[in-house]
Amino acid sequence: MIARIKAGALEKGRSLLDWMEERTGVVSLTEKLLYEPTPRRGRWLYTLGSATLFLITLQFLTGILLLFYYVPTTNDAWDSIYYIMNSVYFGQLIRGIHFWSANALILVIGLHMVRTFLSGSYKAPREMNWVVGVFLILIVTILAFSGYALRWDQEGFWAWEVGVKIASYTPLVGGWAVTSLLGGDTIGPATLSRVFAIHVWLLPAALAPLIGVHLYLLRKHGEFGAPFEYSERLTALRDRQQMEEYSRLEEEDESS
Amino acid sequence: MAEELQKDPLSRGQFLWMGALGTFIGAVLTIPPAIYFLDPSIKSVIQGRSDVPEEWKELGSVFDIPTDRVMVQLVEFTQRQTYDSGQPGSREGSITNAVLVSWKDGKLPSLLENTDEVPLSRTESEELSGKLNVMSNACAHMGCPVRWSGEEKEILCPCHGGMYDINGELMGGPPPHGLWRYAFRIREDGSIFVKHEFADGKPYVV
Repeated sequence: MIARIKAGALEKGRSLLDWMEERTGVVSLTEKLLYEPTPRRGRWLYTLGSATLFLITLQFLTGILLLFYYVPTTNDAWDSIYYIMNSVYFGQLIRGIHFWSANALILVIGLHMVRTFLSGSYKAPREMNWVVGVFLILIVTILAFSGYALRWDQEGFWAWEVGVKIASYTPLVGGWAVTSLLGGDTIGPATLSRVFAIHVWLLPAALAPLIGVHLYLLRKHGEFGAPFEYSERLTALRDRQQMEEYSRLEEEDESS
Repeated sequence: MAEELQKDPLSRGQFLWMGALGTFIGAVLTIPPAIYFLDPSIKSVIQGRSDVPEEWKELGSVFDIPTDRVMVQLVEFTQRQTYDSGQPGSREGSITNAVLVSWKDGKLPSLLENTDEVPLSRTESEELSGKLNVMSNACAHMGCPVRWSGEEKEILCPCHGGMYDINGELMGGPPPHGLWRYAFRIREDGSIFVKHEFADGKPYVV
């Protein structure tokens, strides 16, 4: 009886998948996206990129949830966060995840970068993926910094002030950098609006497509140091050596 | 490879026209949003407009300034930012600055030692002005709020260890110079008035 139900369900599921596959290619696409050979040496270190992606996804999800209560005005910003932390069901959990995964994100990105560097994964033909990664870490850093300011408490306020002051040392355009980051020549309501726009829309909108490029380039070239890469390179090397040997022998024949 | 990809041959004139048209369309698409984003910078850097209107605010009286230490006074300036259209009744905010005040070297000027007579004459208030320090509490390095340490007789910055003496002159640490000084004046009755403006140039963040 149970076996028959199970068989029936399996068949139905398979036909549904076939139906979807025929119209969207979703099954073959999933297979293509899921399987990526990684080097035997290092193993778990090659999951740091996926861990980064997971944490960024968490940031997007919890960030969207925080927006349901957060108010980006100088009068209400701090109070709205206080409300999230003390009155909203699971408010502490959602904000806690946003806060701690942001902290973990910086750490994991650092480890990911160290792994890429030590395994030589930035070498040809993968240089552009390193460059894209550098832009990604830059965006994430500014995201973390602007998120700090959105709290509009003493720490966040002064951190932003110091950050803007650092930007003020930019040669030639220091004044422009400061006034465009403050929304005027003093810190105030316009500043918070700007930080909000930068944190919630501008940088995530820049981050998402760059992650796409990062992943596309990874898939294009594969992980560096994978066994197939070694074998291909070794074969190519042997072929070349053989050809050189032949031409040398030919030259010797000709000269003799 | 590029030649193979180019299916239709393009003349030099056509190429130049395409470049010109592309530049024009690109400009139409990017310049308005860029100016929109830079609006506060254009108003501040090019037009010289400040969020804080020109006004003198009272800071306290010369007779209340202590000797041998720095006094902190809070001054609230009007601040016009995003929501202020300049029309009467539109919303106006404020920004509070902490101002550090001290006598030069912490010593009471001889003029005030024997008397607290008012009104002060012009020469008297000029003499007092030369002995008064009216400083911003924003560190000249990165803008962190500095504080007076009574034990060490120094003004210290908590962020990167900037040190100033009682006159706000740089003693050590990373700041490039001493504390910023407010433009101020002493009136006949001994009251001090400050402007949201600095006597020795302007820091970017205040």
